[in-house]
Formats: sequence, structure tokens, C-alpha cells
Amino acid sequence: MADKEATVYIIDLGSTMGDFNNGRTESDLDWSMRYVWDKISTTVAASRKTWTIGVVGVRTNETKNPLQEDGQDGYEHISILQELGPMNLTSLHELQGLIKASDTEAGDSISAIVIAVDMIEKFTKKLKYKRKIILVTDGEGSVDPDDFFDISVKIKASGIELIVLGVDFDDAELGFKEEDKSPTKEKNEKLLKQLVEECDGLYGTMAEAIDELEIPRLKPVKPYKTYSGPLTLGNPDIHPDAMSISVERYFKTHKATIPQASRVVLSSQAAGDEEMEDVEPTGTFAAVKNARTYKVNDPEAPGGKKDVEFESLAKGYEYGRTAVHISESEYNITKIETTKSFTILGFIHQEKYDPFLNMGATCQTIAQKFSDADALKLSSLIHSLQELDSYAVARIVTKDGNEPTLILLAPHIEPEFECLYDVPLPFAEDVRNYQFPPLDKVITVTGNTILENNRLLPSRELADAMDDYVDAMDISNWEKDDEGNRSLEYAAVEDVFCPPLHRLNQVIRHRAIYPDEPPPPTAPILLKYSNPPEDLVTKAKSKLADLIAEANVKKVPPKAKGRREKGAKPQPISGLDVDALLNQPQNKRTKIEPDNAIPGFKQMVEYASEESEIEDAAKQMGSIIRSLITNSLGDSGYDRAVENLGVFKDTMVRWEMPELYNSFLTDFKKRLLSGELGGDRRELWWQMKGARGALGLIDQSVSEPSKVTSEEAAEFFKK
Amino acid sequence: MADHYEKKEEEEEEDEIGEQDYKAQKDALIFAIDVSNSMLQPPPESDDKKADKDPPVYAALKCAYQLMQQRIISNPKDMISIVLFGTEKTKYGDEQNLYPHCYVYTDLDIPAAQDVKSLRGLVEEGEDAEILMPSSEGVQMLHLLVLANNLFTTKAPNFGSRRLFIITDNDDPHGDNKDYKDKAITRAKDLYDLSVTIELFAITRNDEKFDFSKFYDDIIYRDVVAEETNPRKVSTSKSGSGQTLLNSLISNINSKQTPKRAYFNNMPLELGPGLQISVRGYNILQKQAPARSCYVWLDGEKAQIAAGETARIAEDSARTVQAGEVKKAYKFGGEYVYFSEDEQKSIKQFGSPIIRLIGFKDRSQLGFWASINKSIFIFPSEEGYVGSSRVFAALWQKLIKSKKIGIAWHIPRMNGNPQLVAIIPSKAQEDHKSGADFIPAGLWLYPIPYADDVREGPEQVNLARTTNVLIDRMNKVIGNLQLPTATYNPLKYPNPALQWHYKILQALALDEEVPSKPHDTTLPKFKAIHSRCGEYIQEWSRTADEVLGMIRDAKSIKREMERDDEDDEPKPAKKSRTAVKVSSAGINNAELKKKYNDGTLSKLTVAELKPILDERGMESKGLKKSLVERLEEWIEENV
Repeated sequence: MADKEATVYIIDLGSTMGDFNNGRTESDLDWSMRYVWDKISTTVAASRKTWTIGVVGVRTNETKNPLQEDGQDGYEHISILQELGPMNLTSLHELQGLIKASDTEAGDSISAIVIAVDMIEKFTKKLKYKRKIILVTDGEGSVDPDDFFDISVKIKASGIELIVLGVDFDDAELGFKEEDKSPTKEKNEKLLKQLVEECDGLYGTMAEAIDELEIPRLKPVKPYKTYSGPLTLGNPDIHPDAMSISVERYFKTHKATIPQASRVVLSSQAAGDEEMEDVEPTGTFAAVKNARTYKVNDPEAPGGKKDVEFESLAKGYEYGRTAVHISESEYNITKIETTKSFTILGFIHQEKYDPFLNMGATCQTIAQKFSDADALKLSSLIHSLQELDSYAVARIVTKDGNEPTLILLAPHIEPEFECLYDVPLPFAEDVRNYQFPPLDKVITVTGNTILENNRLLPSRELADAMDDYVDAMDISNWEKDDEGNRSLEYAAVEDVFCPPLHRLNQVIRHRAIYPDEPPPPTAPILLKYSNPPEDLVTKAKSKLADLIAEANVKKVPPKAKGRREKGAKPQPISGLDVDALLNQPQNKRTKIEPDNAIPGFKQMVEYASEESEIEDAAKQMGSIIRSLITNSLGDSGYDRAVENLGVFKDTMVRWEMPELYNSFLTDFKKRLLSGELGGDRRELWWQMKGARGALGLIDQSVSEPSKVTSEEAAEFFKK
Repeated sequence: MADHYEKKEEEEEEDEIGEQDYKAQKDALIFAIDVSNSMLQPPPESDDKKADKDPPVYAALKCAYQLMQQRIISNPKDMISIVLFGTEKTKYGDEQNLYPHCYVYTDLDIPAAQDVKSLRGLVEEGEDAEILMPSSEGVQMLHLLVLANNLFTTKAPNFGSRRLFIITDNDDPHGDNKDYKDKAITRAKDLYDLSVTIELFAITRNDEKFDFSKFYDDIIYRDVVAEETNPRKVSTSKSGSGQTLLNSLISNINSKQTPKRAYFNNMPLELGPGLQISVRGYNILQKQAPARSCYVWLDGEKAQIAAGETARIAEDSARTVQAGEVKKAYKFGGEYVYFSEDEQKSIKQFGSPIIRLIGFKDRSQLGFWASINKSIFIFPSEEGYVGSSRVFAALWQKLIKSKKIGIAWHIPRMNGNPQLVAIIPSKAQEDHKSGADFIPAGLWLYPIPYADDVREGPEQVNLARTTNVLIDRMNKVIGNLQLPTATYNPLKYPNPALQWHYKILQALALDEEVPSKPHDTTLPKFKAIHSRCGEYIQEWSRTADEVLGMIRDAKSIKREMERDDEDDEPKPAKKSRTAVKVSSAGINNAELKKKYNDGTLSKLTVAELKPILDERGMESKGLKKSLVERLEEWIEENV
């Protein structure tokens, strides 16, 4: 309810606003509008019907306002450019066309304020609104102080916040004083300041307002209650002595949503000129909807599949590969029956829990409002947990029928606030059993344990250098406080803004206002934490040099990753020379069996004594791949073909013979798309494309001898 | 399959990492069980109730049975096959004698309900026992290996992970027969080239030793790169010493159960300008949820899952849209704001994937509440930088020793969103039952919320503080209700909703009786709480009532005093209380009760009633009459 907003912007459009001042390369009006457009577009972006905006121009050529029409004097050269109401992108663009410096200097700012007050009163009536008037002016027009008292009483009575933003107004705090200020402006500045003070409003300079635009704004969200009801220990239904405290649980953290791009197409009126692809689309867009169709296997249908009507389908689940159909009436049968509850299982020691087990965002639990008894009881639980360095493990079902979750409750005590914070805990199924070797010792194949002098273990010297470096890079209190002392935590949660969120919002707003300009650069504040603080790096420089020397880390050259080193051939654990065995005439392969194609191909290439044998292997592999597709019923052979293709490609990269694969693939593409390989095989082509380059031509960046450039390789998949 | 890649494309926008690979991220597992006289020999009789009763073959089959059910839940897209080797009978599809003495009991596929059912019949009811008849001439390992090769090639093409588990007690299947042995070795190399991993689960009895060097060391390969993060630990399973063969086998196999998939590879970890090492990331924590429901087509002979396909349609004209036409735009004020593809990329570009340390803090500076998402485990790898392991280990030791954490800027993939993370060290934590580590030693990337992710807290209007006596009472309760070893061990708490979902599905799929009540370990042990702490809780409760009485007295005295010195300087306490009253909701329960008794509740306006209901957790929608009724009921019950 309290969310409704009515804001009227009063823009000074007098001829003087078209001037360029104080070394700026844009007019005072354009400069000021940067602030106004940013504010308005923020409101537009929110798309809320209850956030309304009105715009009044003062010192306009025309006169268009109801007070003037009523025959009152003193309201000339004031125009309502937009009545109060919700705004969208279209009305924003319409408004943009109206904001131009006029040819006149006549028009009174105070009269404009009166009109704005009148607009707000008529629009909001007595309803609950956040009311605001923002006046943007260079102070060169007329400011009539006669009715200041009445106006300020009125503004305060209506609950309107008055904000005056002046172009190059003097500001003692910022230490700004405009030289050669005109006497009119000097007088007006004082008058406006006086009015603002009488109304308890805000008064500031444009420069300050524009600077502040860079600082990301946090979007306030109403507290969201996830649970309200008893917190129990024991079961009060069975044992009357169980504990039960009425509590409320709210979000403490919740991932702020980053704007997602939606799929659109050029709207059909605008489409048609498809050849003009390079031209930026300027037309309107239409949303893209997804239409789902359903298919089942049918050996008799062409392609092995047939369409089925959605209406003929029943809901169900997969158990392994068995389809388990569940009738509508029994649909809840697999859902565990639960009742809303919040109950403690037991307690654990704080030091025995590690935060990396947290499964997600935090909530906070407080006692039910206006109940001293519950507040007192919860307080004793919070303080007791604190005294005993303990956490509570609890099971919560936020609503009847919801899945139970286990959460960990921690005490939190501030002078004016107490609560239990909680984080979700993992269940047994959520923890994957991955085994890793220990970090402080090396266990050899023979089972011996090595504790030092191994290339995988740090030497004493390395450990010491790390010790010094980590201590030198401490940022526990690196941030400066107001007095310039380093006493505050660096990168504290409240100082770090989500870069993609604010970056996207910034460029979207910018594009909406200035459709033809390129996106602005990222605000430095968003990248502040992408690197260590420079002064700290300088301070720790010698420690880092020591660490680098002790670490003696060597980058693996990119080439070595592809080609297997001679001598590092794979061998079984025993170290037996399998190559010798495979090289014996009775084992050596000259023909690749389709059913053992991958090992056959790899080995034939590996043990080739001449290049022609590799060429032969490639030829055989190519024909195996083609016949897999030709003989494929529907898509049944595609996966095998794709795997063979992948191995073919990787092997040719490793042996630096990219041409063999590239020429095969070029020919293969032709045959595939012409339908030569058993009909319409476009689906396989999509599948290959979907592997994103992993199956495409081998280009020069991957294998030097290749004649194919990266661009050509990318082009290859674009039909 | 087409669906598979399409999905990949859609997921691009989400925070998932799709590796640039042509392989499907799926696992195919062949469970090969040796059937021989010694494998069928039951353990020596014992009076101990808990003693082993299963011959090794049955223990292995039970293990496979359990594994199959587990994988249906945890890896619903993965395939499993059970092959018996050394059997008198032979079976491979329709071809009878291709692989003598190898019996494909369950074909390589995603298990069907019927597979689970027949396997249970075999292990529990002794059905089809004639299959488990050992052949007199033994089996050539060659045949098992070629059979596995064939199954993997034809049934699980393009799978990212293929594994052959061999369960046997015979360390020397071919003795002196060099020809047989050589053939097996060449076929094992084929499997290696097909990227199949062989895992051996050796079974021993009494003090026998399983000598790997006789045969198996010649057919099992170690991958040099993977080995850094995947130590080969051949474990032998045996019965006796308090553990059954089955349990020992299960825990050995469980530790290898999930193929280890990296979340990211060769990720640079930058300790400072000019010092990078390479690490791999693993999703050790992953929320498991029931698979989504699907649509089933019932009109055919057999129920079939209908595969969905998506066509894109323009909303304005309802025409079908080609993939190339689709553009991305942002909704803004009811319309779309468009960026070209290149612009889109540059807007979101925050640099290439990295973990860049920007400093270190005391561990205590990471607030308990600063949690937003699960953490990623990282472990060193020498693939990008030689020497990464020792530097990583040095960092790990230092962070543990000094109780510090790293703070780092992390971009998980190309065009990925940056996240500020805390780097927290972990020591290995062992599960006592299975003896395996459930938390490995290493470092974790713990996401720190942004200022934007922090929600404003609710207003706390009444802050009745506890007293020391009351804390002491509560201390007794907490002190007596510690979980075992005062630790949270996730392995003790299976997700009841997930387990129930699959239990019911299984019962429906196998046409069995639906169980009536779930087994739920997340429910508190009410009886134990009552017997251990009932008395303490009562004491605490009584004390709380006493304190409460004192607070009320104090309050009423204060109120009287305030009334007396109304003209005095207003005290802050008074100020806040009046402030609350103006905000219309500040009616406490006592006042409500009074209004209720006086019958003046209906004099409250709707605007006043709504927050009163809201704050007490009641529905605040509806006509005034029902709002008042709701409030009356609440007062009757609660005040």
C-alpha cells in the first residue's frame, strides 16, 4: 500500500538552459536531463502502475496549465508536458521530444511548484502516496517569494517532499562556488534555499546529483515472511512439557534477480526486409512463445516417431526407464504428507560446523510481534546458544504439504535486535562421494607415505613465504574510516554491489533513453573488487616476489597438452609394454572393424610406420562413419557417429594431420545435407552444431599445419 | 538426442557450465560378477546373529541391487548392466554362443522397473538360481572384455564415462596360459582406447592375499592426468572382524559409485599479480530433487514417455519462427530494449574465467548470515601450471593454521557472472560408519552475498530480554540434547521427501503394495527429548512465567509513572511506544484482549485490522466482518 508514488518533475526550459557552461560539452539542459532521464527510466523500468510521474516545463514558449485556463495570473509560460500517471517507454520517448530549450526567459519557478502541488493533490486525493516534487533549474528565471509561507504550509500539509536541484549552485560542502554568477541567480539561489528549508525539503547542486547516479541503488524489498507459527522442542501434542515459542521467520538474504533477456522476433509488420540483416533492427519486437509438441516411438512411422495429441497424454514419472503413470486423482501420492512445523532436533558445537556445507540463502527468526512471553522465551534460547557456543539443528515445513528441510539455527544479538539466523543443511543425497588424495602427504602406488621432499608437497621455505605473503595481504581492516585510518573491513558485504545486475540496469536504461548511442563504460565502482587494492599490492610486493621464487611454478605450454609426449605412452599398472605386444604381426591391425572402430583406429594410427597407413586409417574411419549414418534408423546411429567423429578429430589434432579430418568433414557435410546418407539427416547436423565447435573443422588456433582459419571454421556451421 | 543439445542451449543462460565437448555427460556402468565355486561358497557357520551368511556372489548381487536402486534416484540418466562371468550358461542378446560363459543378466540400459524386480527375485527369493551355476571349464577373460567393449560401443555410444567393475576372488584366472593372458591384455588395451575404466573389487577370505601382479595389474590402466585427483586405491573386501562382506563391498563400491566429474577444469587461481596456479572445481554439494514429472502415452501396447519438442512461435502473428530470427532483448517499461549480439557479449564481459585473490581476512569476519548459495570444492591440478599442488597445499596449511580465509573475485566460465567468494579450507572428515571421507581436504569457494542480496529485516517492536536465570535453565536443556559427537553429519539424514517419492514410484512401477508411512530420520526423537529434558523444559517454562510477571508489573508501574510525569522530558522508551501506536498496528495482545472483552474490536477500521492480522500470521484479506471474526477466534485461542 505504502508503495504508491506520485512524482512531478519541474524542468526549467528557459533559453538560458541551452547554454554551455563551466567547460561542459553539453548544454545545461542536456546535462541536467541526464539526471532526470535516469530517474524517470528507473521508474519506467519498474513497470509499476502505482508509480506515477508528471512533468511540468517552466519558461516554455507556450502556456498550458489549468490555473492559467482558470484565468489566474502569474502562470504564463508554464506547460504541463505530462499529466501524472504511469509511464512506459513510448511515453518516455514522446516526452523526450518535448524537452527543448525555449526562446523565452519568462516564467516563474514558484508558480510551477504551485501547479505541481495542484497536480499532485488532484491526482492522489487523500490516498496514501509518496509525494515528491523535483525542480531542476539554472536559477536564471524568475522566483517570486511573495507566497513562500502559504506554499510551504501547503506542501508540508500535503506531505510532499520538495527537492531543488540547481545547475552550478554554490555548495559550501562540496567547496563549489561559481565565479561571475549573475545577480539574478545569486538572489534566486538564496530564495530557493529558503523555500526548501521552510518545507523540510532537499536542496542540492546538479553536479552532486549526477555524481551520485554512478553509485548503485539498492532496491528495497518488503520483508518476506516464510513461516509464522510455533518453534518447538519436543512434541507439544504428545508431551505437554514440550517447548513452544510463537515465532516469525523472514528472508535475510535472497539472490537479487539479474534482468534476463527474452527471446523476441521482429514484429511481422516490421519484418520482410530480411536481406537487410546488417541494419540494426529499429522496429518493434514481438515475444516468442514456446509451443510444445509431443512424439512417441513408432517403428512404423517415418523416422520412427509419430506425433501424439497433448490431450491424450497422462501425467507420470520416470522410474529408471519405466514410465509410471499416475492418475489425476492420485497425483499427490508421491508427495510426502507433512504438516506445517518448525521443530528442533538437537544441538551441535559451533566449531564443529563449517560454513561451506551451507546449501543456500539465510533466513532470520524473531518472536511473534507484541507477545512479551514469546520474545522472552526466544531471547533465552538465543542467549543460551550464544553462551554455549552452540547451533541448533531444526526441521522446518513452511506450509502444510511442503517438503521438510533441515536448517541450522545460530544466535545473533545486537543492542536493539535479537534473532536466530538459519541456513539450509544438506541431506545425505546432496553430498557426493568424491575421493581426493590428502594434501599433507603423498601416498605412492606401493602404499608408502611421503611427508616431505616431494614435488607435490610444499617445502619449509615455501610454507614460510606463503605465511608471510598471506599476512601481508590482510584486508581485515584495510578500508579507511571517515578520519582516513585503516580501521574498517575491506569488501564488507554492504559495500559490494552485484556487478552484472547494476551493469545491465545501467545499459538498459541508457539504451532506452539514447537508442542510438553505444553502451556506456562500466562504472568503476562495480569493478572495485575485481583486483586486490593497488596500495596493498605495492605494500606486499617483496613478499609476493619471495613467494613466486619459492613456488617456482611453471606454466604448461599449450602445445604440450595436445600431443602426447613420447615415452609417456599409456601402460597398465604393471608397466608391461603393451605396444610390443600389439606390434606383433598377429596383433597388428590393418583393417578397422566397425564394432571396435575407436580402439582400432587409435591403434592403427599409433602404430603406423608410414604416413600412408594413417591416411588409410582415416579413410576407413570415414567410411565407417558414413555407413553408420546411412544405416541409421531414425537417429539411432547418430551418437556412435558423433563419438567416432570426435575421436577422429582429436586424433588428427594430436598427430598434427588436420587436413585428413578437414577434407573428410567438408565432403561429409555435402553428402549429409544433400540427403545422400540415407535421407534427411539434418537433425544430425544440428546435433554436430550443438557440440559447439568440438566437431567442426580443425583450425589454425588448434593445429598449426591447418589451412583453415578460425573464421572459416565458424563459417562452416552457418550452412 | 536432439532434445539433449537443445536443452544445453537453453541452459546457457543459467549458471551451469556446459563444457565444450561432444560427449554426453552420462555414465555407463557394467557390473561384472565372477561366478565360481569359491564365490558361491557360504562363509563358515557362526552363532553370531550379525555374522555373514552371504556367499560372495550373493553379496555382490545384493550390492548391485542396492546400487541399481540408488542410481535410479541419484543418476536417472545413467546406465547399468549386470554381467555374470564363469557361468555354465551363456547369454548375450539373441546370439547364444558369442561370448562363452558370460551371462548378461541385465542389459546395459537405464534400469527398468522389471530389472529391479527380477534382480530382487534372484537375490532375495532365490529365483533363477540355475543361472548361478559355475562352468566347469572356467571363462576366458578375453570374452568378458570383448563383451564389455561391445556393450559400451553399441548401447552407450558417446557416453562421457564408461566403467567396468569386476568383482572376483580369483587373482589369477589364466595361470600359465600365456596365450589367454596376452589376448586379454590386448583386449584390455582396446577398452582403454575406448575410454573405459576398469575398477577391480577383490574379495579375500581369512588371511588370503589377492595378488594383483599376477593378472590384473596388466589389464588395469591409470590415467596420468586423472590420477592426481583420483588416487587408485584398490581395496579388498573381506568378511569377518565385525563387518560383513556385503557392507565392506558396499562401502568400497560406494566410494567409486559416482564418476567424478569436474565442474570446471584448468581454472587459474591467481594468488597475486604474476602468480597463478591451476585448480579444478567439483560440485560436491548438489541438491537432489525428484525428477520432474513427464507425460505418458497410454494408447499404445506399452506405456511410453512422450518426448517433448519445442517450436518457437511469434506471439503477434502465431507464425513459426526460425532459430536464426530469434533475438534477445530486455523488457523495459512494457517494451523491448534491444542490443546486438556483439553488444550483448560486451555488456556481460567481466573477463575470462578466474579465481583472483584480492586479500585475506580473519575467519571470524565471515558472518554466519552471509550465505547465499552452495560452495564449490577446489583441488589443485598440474594441468595448467606445474607446481600447483605444492603452492595450493601451502596456502591450505596457512589458512588452517592462522584461521584465515581468502577473499576472491571469481568468474566460473566465459561470459559468466562474477561472484565474490570466500576461500575456506577444509580438513578431511570421515564418516565413522563407512570409513570414507565425506568431506575431503581442500579449499572451498564460498559465495558471499552482494549488498543487493541482503534483505531488510522485520521491525522488532518488543524486545523482552532474557534474564541470567532463564539462560541457565535453557543451558541445561541445550547441554542435554547434543546430537551425536555434537556434529551435523548429513549422511544420517536422507531427504524424506525424495526417498518417499521414489519409494512410491517403485511400488507403483513394480505393482507392489504402497507403503503407508515414510521412514523419516529428520523427525526429532520426541520420546528421548521428553525423557531427557522434559523436566528441564518445565523448569525453564516456570521461570519464564515468573520473569514475565515481573516484566508486566514493571511495565504497569512505568506506565503509571509516565502518566504522572507527562510534562517531563519524554523518555526514549515512551517515544518509541507512541510512535508505534500511530502506525496503527501497535496494539499488543493485552489491548486486543481488552477490546475483545469490551466488544469494541469491530470499532477498529479495516486499515487497522489488516496489519494486526498480518503481524499475527493470519490471512488479512476479506470483508471487515470476517477479519473481525478471525481476530476474535485468534484471541480466544491465543491470549
